[in-house]
Amino acid sequence: MTGQLSRTVIEPTNPRLNVSRNANLPHSPGIRVGEYIFLSGMGPVDPATGGRNLGPFADQIRQTLRNMEHMLASAGSGLDRIVKINVVLADIQDYDEMNRVWREFFPVDPPARTTCALQLSNGNGVEIECIALSL
Amino acid sequence: MALQRDVIAPKDPAVDMSPNLNLPLSPAIRAGEFIFVSGMVAIDATGERMHGTVAAETRQILAAMAQVLESAGSSLAKAVKVNVLIYSMLEYNNMNEVYREFFPTDPPARTVCGAKLCGGSKVEIECVALA
Repeated sequence: MTGQLSRTVIEPTNPRLNVSRNANLPHSPGIRVGEYIFLSGMGPVDPATGGRNLGPFADQIRQTLRNMEHMLASAGSGLDRIVKINVVLADIQDYDEMNRVWREFFPVDPPARTTCALQLSNGNGVEIECIALSL
Repeated sequence: MALQRDVIAPKDPAVDMSPNLNLPLSPAIRAGEFIFVSGMVAIDATGERMHGTVAAETRQILAAMAQVLESAGSSLAKAVKVNVLIYSMLEYNNMNEVYREFFPTDPPARTVCGAKLCGGSKVEIECVALA
C-alpha cells in the first residue's frame, strides 16, 4: 500500500436530491474512499420537487433506485458497479414486490444484497444503501 | 485502472440462494481485495428454505457461508465484518453459542440487530471478507 487513501464527499448533481443538506441532516450523501463509493441510505425523493414520493410501493422502489443511479452517475459510477446493496423495508410483506421491480434495474449479475424490515423515517416504505466501485 | 467486479458462484449449488429461492441477487461479489456476501438465510440440501431453531439456522447459514467464501478463495477466518439479523433479540444467546463454534479465535467485527426477515426465516447473516 502506497500512501493513505483519500476520503471525498459525493453529492448528487441535482441539488433537490441532496437530502442531507436540504433537511439539515448530519450525514453526507456518499463518501468515496479509494476505488470504493459508500452511499447513505436513500429514500423515494421526487427529483423535481425534493419532496417525498410516498406513492405505491413499487413506485417508491423505482424512484429510490433511479435516485441511486443519479447519485452514482454524479460520482462517475453506475448501478452495474454496485457490489453490495442493503434494502430496508417498512413492511416485510413488500418483499416479493421489491424483487419484481428489482429485476428491471439489475437484469444481469445483480449485486450481493441483504433485505430486512425495520422502522424507517418520514413514512418511507423503503430505504436503500449501497457500496459501489468507481469506473 | 478500475477494480474488477466478479460474481462468486458457490461450488455447491445447494448453498446458492439466488436460483434456489429465485432471488435477483448474487450470492457474493468480489471487488478488489474484498468479498461482499449477500445476507444468507438457512436453506437445506435440496435448496429449500430451512426452518429451524435460531441455533439450527445459524449453524446452517455459517456452514453455507464458509462454502461461499471458500468458492471465492477466502474463508470464515478472513471475514472482517459480519452482520447478523435475528427475528427476536431474546434469541441473542442462542445465536452466540453456535456462532462462537465457527469463529474460535480473533472473530470478525460484528453487529447484531433484531429485524423482521423474509420468508419466515429466523436468522440472516451477511459478511465482508478479504479475498
